[in-house]
Amino acid sequence: MKRSIIIILGVLTSMMMACTNTPEDPLSTILSPGITDDQVRVGSSLALGGHAGYLGTQTLHGALAYIQHVNDLGGIHGRRIHVKVYDDGYDPPRCVTNTQKLIIEDKVFALFCYVGTPTTVKILPLVDEARIPVVGMFTGANALREPHNRYVINVRASYYQETGAAVKHLVEELKLERIAVFYQYDAYGFDGLKGTEIALRPYGLVPVATGTYIRGTLDVAEGLRKIMAAGAEAVVMIGTYEPCAKFIRLASQKGFSPVFYNVSFVGADELARLLGDVDEKIIVTQVVPPPEVSETQQLWGAQEYIELLRRYYPADRPNFVSLEGYINAKVLVEGLKRAGRDLNRETFINSIESIHNLDLGIDNLLSFSASDHQGLERVYFTYLQDGKFVWRNH
Amino acid sequence: MAQPLIDSIKNRSLKNKIFFSVTVVILLISVLIALFTRWILISTLTSELKLRGLGIGYSIAESCRSYLLTEDIPQLTSLIFDARLGARRELVGYVFIIDKQDRILAHTFIRDFPAQIATANRIDPEKDHRIQLMTMDNDKVYDVAVAVNEGIYRIGAVHVGLYKKHIDVLINKLRTTFLGFVSVVILFFFIISHHLAKTITRPIAKLTRVSDEISRGIFDIELKMENGLERSGDKDEVRQLSRSFINMTNRIKESQAKLKESDNKYRSLFASGPNPIFVLDRQSLNILSANPSAEETFGYTREELVGRLFTDLGPFELSADQLLTFSTQPTGRVTSVSSKVQYLKKNGEAIYVNVHACPVHFENKQALIVATTDISEMVEKDSQLIQASKMTTLGEMSAGIAHELNQPLNAIKMGSDFLEMMIEKEMPVTEQQLFQIVREVSSQVDRAEGIIRRLRDFGRKTDFTKEKIFINDPIISVLDIIGRQLRLQNIDVQLQLTENLPAILAHHNRMEQVIFNLLTNARDAINLKEESTLRNNQRTIVIRSYTDNDRVVVCVSDTGIGIDPTVKDQIFEAFFTTKKMGEGMGLGLSITNGIVEDYGGKIQIDSIEGRGTTFHLSFPMVP
Repeated sequence: MKRSIIIILGVLTSMMMACTNTPEDPLSTILSPGITDDQVRVGSSLALGGHAGYLGTQTLHGALAYIQHVNDLGGIHGRRIHVKVYDDGYDPPRCVTNTQKLIIEDKVFALFCYVGTPTTVKILPLVDEARIPVVGMFTGANALREPHNRYVINVRASYYQETGAAVKHLVEELKLERIAVFYQYDAYGFDGLKGTEIALRPYGLVPVATGTYIRGTLDVAEGLRKIMAAGAEAVVMIGTYEPCAKFIRLASQKGFSPVFYNVSFVGADELARLLGDVDEKIIVTQVVPPPEVSETQQLWGAQEYIELLRRYYPADRPNFVSLEGYINAKVLVEGLKRAGRDLNRETFINSIESIHNLDLGIDNLLSFSASDHQGLERVYFTYLQDGKFVWRNH
Repeated sequence: MAQPLIDSIKNRSLKNKIFFSVTVVILLISVLIALFTRWILISTLTSELKLRGLGIGYSIAESCRSYLLTEDIPQLTSLIFDARLGARRELVGYVFIIDKQDRILAHTFIRDFPAQIATANRIDPEKDHRIQLMTMDNDKVYDVAVAVNEGIYRIGAVHVGLYKKHIDVLINKLRTTFLGFVSVVILFFFIISHHLAKTITRPIAKLTRVSDEISRGIFDIELKMENGLERSGDKDEVRQLSRSFINMTNRIKESQAKLKESDNKYRSLFASGPNPIFVLDRQSLNILSANPSAEETFGYTREELVGRLFTDLGPFELSADQLLTFSTQPTGRVTSVSSKVQYLKKNGEAIYVNVHACPVHFENKQALIVATTDISEMVEKDSQLIQASKMTTLGEMSAGIAHELNQPLNAIKMGSDFLEMMIEKEMPVTEQQLFQIVREVSSQVDRAEGIIRRLRDFGRKTDFTKEKIFINDPIISVLDIIGRQLRLQNIDVQLQLTENLPAILAHHNRMEQVIFNLLTNARDAINLKEESTLRNNQRTIVIRSYTDNDRVVVCVSDTGIGIDPTVKDQIFEAFFTTKKMGEGMGLGLSITNGIVEDYGGKIQIDSIEGRGTTFHLSFPMVP
């Protein structure tokens, strides 16, 4: 009797076991393309021209300044880093095509130095499927951070962190409650809007008005009208430098002068250049410190950046954007260094995750872990002052 | 393989049988349901998958038309990557768009485009879609091709690759869930069937145990049976079964008691009955048992009797009918086997018994119950009676016999007187005369001696035994005694005896008495007739002997008064007489009849009143 019970249970168990076989993933074998004896090939798709061309170019220059420096010193473990770059003009479809091309044709080891939220978010499915690391994106989009993705390595603080800090500043210190949001009508703008709304909620506030513009256009008038009509005391602006500059100028012309707040992606230096000398109160949150603070208050990381930029891109002025690119390159190099000579995509990710409290000389320690793929957390407040954004440590 | 399994199941207890069959049925049903569900699932899911693929294909085809015309590759690429967003990636293996020259414009591979799939699934010119199952990297893929038309002309096609394994994964998930469910159900039924089997079989096992106890003679079961069954209701079959079982047991108990009572009764009858009773094996006639009376009567102990052949005690001969009855019927009625047969006691003393037998079952054997009623005393009384009657007859005959004896005495007297006279006259007696006288005297003495011997023989008391005799002999003996007497009474005795008749089983002396009685009766009847008619009638007695079939017959006819038909039925009764008071005891014919019957004979009477009577005596002949 007992024996028969055991037999029947055994049969049932084996039937269950037979049903839980899972097919093997054929992609797991592709681990280390783009690696030769003396080269590591990484790929990048970013805007080298068009309305966000400044951002892409500066990011790339910052990154390449460091990479060329490393290459000139003999590379990492005998391999020089080669960056294959395609221009996507801040156009998501082109970014996807470029990325596909980088993966299939150029067989890059990793993706690097992507710029922009709508573009980078678009390539996530490819990253997932190809299991290719993507390191250092010039965007704080939440979509790159949640859900956690093993192959996505963020360096900078998120837009949520930026808008959160900004809203806190606006509400708690400037005592402003009527806050409007002006945003680019795409994934980037939505992310910023969401971050703002989330930050406002604990205060029982909602945006008093929202205005939008279409990416690649300068049609900001309608958005401005709505925001003015709502009588906003502050405007959170999620856009790129050109439309934002136009918005501020138009507002100024119409005598509307709330506090203008921009996230880092706006490209603070270019914004300042476009605006020239204005009286408006303009705040930009940064995820890297200003490269040039003062002669007395210099950070060694920023100092190093300025020197390398001067060496490899003497025409460029040091700025927030290229510093971010520079820091991204440092993270890439650190990961490659730690992975060692036997490099593949998995060991690379593991190496990145092993970085803990690494001082990059920017008063902001770099830390990763298996569950945290964002290296830096700090948000820096900069104010437009005399045609230049200055860091104010409030 | 199957046969030993079936055998082993057959040999299982009822509980295990129920349990096994329920389990097997549930397993079978589960497997069938699983197969059926799987079939439904696969077909439904496959068609659903194709429908979804077509839906995706058509929507991409709709959206990509303008980009296809302008060959805007980034837009096309972005579009098809969007089509694979989110959960769809599990389902959609790839999407690619070709133009009318079959050039690949965009695809979602993140590796080199597998060239073989580009043209593997071409849409027929008149159709707008086509679905084909193909293999890509060991994966089965449904390639759903949807045409992109501008106006009525084709400008390209969208191919959507759907993983078949997506369905398989779904099916696997469902199967796992289903199997889990079925397992739980099976486990549940397993426990239920186990419990059920136990519930059904426990009372049955109990019944079996109780039955065993009953067969061992333990009838005290009522309490035990009802224990544990109170919970089940009155409609419960098992409870009903146990109830009827209890009833049955009670009936058995009652009938057992009755049987015991009856057994005791018959045992005491058997033990204390006055008649010796034996139980015999029907085949061998060995004694199986005997009652105390048998021991007492035959002088053997019980131990000596059991196992002994019954025929050692005395003859036990069955008629053909009885043999047939006893050999074919298990039980039957009591029949008389033989009467007044001589059996021997242990000490050799003979006793007379009547034997009755009855076929029965005894201790699983075919047996006979044989009762041997001791009638020795009766036989002795019979003999005494017969003797008394004989003496009476002799008394009656004494005058005649005296006369008979007188004749030789007279002759002797005459001879002696002659000799005396011759001596007195001193006359010489010649030698010849003397010799003649002496011879005459001697012959007369012989004659007297003969008469006396016959008288003595006749008067001797005899046992009831049988021997082979010839019927003519006693007739002649009797006539020697009373023949002359009859003739003196002017009765003409005519003998018509057949020579060399077969023998019969009887006794000479007794048969003499029978003949004697018949002859005296005949004489009396003739005298009575003469007295009543006062005429001179014919006075004749005819004695005949002959054979009739297998019987020997003796006829005694007279020309006497005959028998009144009204008393014809009574004449064999004891103490019945037609004679005057003091002339007869009325035992003659009764004794005659008894003797004849003892030897298996029959008496038949033909009588015409006033004309005469004939007694026919017939006996079975001995071969």
